[in-house]
Amino acid sequence: MAGRRRGRCGGGVEVLESIYSVVALVLILVACVELGDAATAVDVYRLIQYDLAGVPYGSRFGGLNHHAGAFPFAPGADFSRTVVMMPVRELNFTFLREYIINKQQLGGLLFLLPQKVSKKIVGEIKSKDDGLMRKILVELEQLLIHASIPYPVYFAFEDDKINALLADVRRSDATGQPATATTGGYKLVVSSPEPKKLSSPTITNIQGWLPGLKGDGDTNQLPTIAVVAPYDTFGAAPALSVGSDGNGSGVVALLEIARLFSRLYSNPKTRGRYNLLFGLTSGGPYNYNGTLKWLRSFDQRLRESIDYAICLNSIGSWNNELWIHVSKPPENAYIKQVHESLSDVAKEQGVTIGIKHKKINISDPRVAWEHEQFSRLRITAVTLSELSAAPELLKNTGGLYDTRDSVDEAAVYRSIRLIAESLARHIYGYQGRNIQIFADNSSLAVNPSYVKSWLDLLSRTPRVGPFLSKTDPIISALKKELSDHTVEVHLQHEMIDGMFSFYDSTRATLYIYQVASVAFDLLLLLVLGSYLILLFSFLVITTRGLDDLINMFRRPPSRKVKAS
Amino acid sequence: MTVFHFFNCAILTFGPHAVYYSATPLSEYDTIGTSAKAAAVYLGTALVKLVCLATFLKESENGNFDPYQELLKVLINFIDVAGLYFALTQLTHRNISQNHKFQAVGLGWAFADSVLHRLAPLWVGARGLEFTWEYVFQGLEANANLVLNLSLAALGSLMWLRKNKPRILIPIIYACAGVLATMPSITRSDGKYLFITTMW
Repeated sequence: MAGRRRGRCGGGVEVLESIYSVVALVLILVACVELGDAATAVDVYRLIQYDLAGVPYGSRFGGLNHHAGAFPFAPGADFSRTVVMMPVRELNFTFLREYIINKQQLGGLLFLLPQKVSKKIVGEIKSKDDGLMRKILVELEQLLIHASIPYPVYFAFEDDKINALLADVRRSDATGQPATATTGGYKLVVSSPEPKKLSSPTITNIQGWLPGLKGDGDTNQLPTIAVVAPYDTFGAAPALSVGSDGNGSGVVALLEIARLFSRLYSNPKTRGRYNLLFGLTSGGPYNYNGTLKWLRSFDQRLRESIDYAICLNSIGSWNNELWIHVSKPPENAYIKQVHESLSDVAKEQGVTIGIKHKKINISDPRVAWEHEQFSRLRITAVTLSELSAAPELLKNTGGLYDTRDSVDEAAVYRSIRLIAESLARHIYGYQGRNIQIFADNSSLAVNPSYVKSWLDLLSRTPRVGPFLSKTDPIISALKKELSDHTVEVHLQHEMIDGMFSFYDSTRATLYIYQVASVAFDLLLLLVLGSYLILLFSFLVITTRGLDDLINMFRRPPSRKVKAS
Repeated sequence: MTVFHFFNCAILTFGPHAVYYSATPLSEYDTIGTSAKAAAVYLGTALVKLVCLATFLKESENGNFDPYQELLKVLINFIDVAGLYFALTQLTHRNISQNHKFQAVGLGWAFADSVLHRLAPLWVGARGLEFTWEYVFQGLEANANLVLNLSLAALGSLMWLRKNKPRILIPIIYACAGVLATMPSITRSDGKYLFITTMW
């Protein structure tokens, strides 16, 4: 009987032990519950972080956990534990420059970009406000990407919640001190992991080939004309660099030209005696690194057969003037031929084409235009662009201001007409003749909805080359589109030259909490403590009598009296 | 500092129970067993109410006042009363006076109510960075709830434990009991929501 009882007791002890372990597990689980209970969650985009030849640039940190502050500030206040919120509309460049160039420590920077304005009517002159905003954004971008900033910098779009928050923060800041842990306010938290270097960023070149008509007696290689456009971008916020004009416009023009010529070449009767090579290159902002690698991969015969190459760069927002940029002198026979074929067509369409000559300096690593890479390998090439001067490194590569609104599809349409017409006249030998091959309302007309839909797609897709994987959707889309129009579509994956290295973590979620100060918590504790003490005394007095309460505090002395 | 806030709200919610226990003669007579048993009975009552609600109650589509649904809710409320009756009369307590018995039972009942309804939201919510007054209000509600439960227990003991009541008071006592039991239905304005929280 005793044994049975012990057995039952042993079983009971086991049950108790399992209960304890279950309870412990539940407690541990419960302690880990952390719900996202923020008042607001906002999508934010981080400033780019990159190294150029070992020198660090951009924002070097990702995580953020500080109080919010905004203009106007008390002068000389300490911001090393504050995130400064700056709406771009009212940017104060002096303050910004002081903090960035003097490398003063901030808790963080949050730029508020204006909401995308609704699409304007085509042809309308851009308003003064837009011009001003564009100037501000360009200046801001150049300031940020050429500085090394030891705190996180994020971009966010303005909306009602953030504006209300900003107004609130400004109101409380107007009283003087920026918010810290003791005065309450708003806390901005971004919990992203430390940004890591991209291990082996690849850039991908896409090429397509339209073979020409080889006659019976032709034994030599047919001459080739190349149409090239870089498709990748670079900007202060890589997750926002959609580069609609630089160089989404060029990519769309290339695709449409490919489509038109594939229609012509599909019928042997209208196939020209030139091969056409289409190239969508990557690595544009980085001295056209990708183009160089692409050209180096060419067979010597192919390289020699290229008659000339047209590079397209930013042809989406011009009115009636375009530029041809060359590196060989304009008197050169080949250049003259290309220039004339383009200007003849341009004159008919009411467009002026200017020519700009920039000599190549072999020892200078800076490659400002794509045609220079061709010229270094002795291939005649020109760049067609609306820009009249060579852009500097990392400028005009599709930044913050370069969104869908900054490109005009009518301008792209006109560019396509111009280039296609002049190419066709050269291929079919109709130079100087007044003939419209791609006339409007014909079966070979430039398709405006094709242009529009591709422009829209590209304006929604950030395309910073090193951040695109080998199988990125946009690369596959471009490849598929080229395969529809051309044959022998190849992807070439290359590593970026060692000079540039990039860091990941380009977008995150910002949580905004409204926090109470420590002083408030202490005050509350004080109030509760006194409430409980009062309650205690009240209950003792009512149930046991006042003497009991007094005796509770007199016990030690009375014991001493008793002992003596 | 948010664990600080959680701590503050916790002592607001559960502090008065502890204070009540230690301040009144309950601690001298060591009535913790009674309170614990009352808490267990409350748990059982809550489970039974939950099952009944789930089984018998239908979700009304247009929010109109359906007398049969309300009657059903009132009847389920009486389970509460039945639970209190059980705790007061049927459990075997140690030899403590009537006076202390109802206090101990009321305290245990209120404590179980607070723990069941307020501990989980407090733990999950008050520890976050975001500051709201919600948990302070919840704590105040817990205090009011303590007073309510003590008076309910007092009423219960008057009804079932005292054998010699003055004749005049009997109908008043039973009327009060009836009102208290159906009070949630009466005080409901639009609040199915309010109703369910009070019913819980």
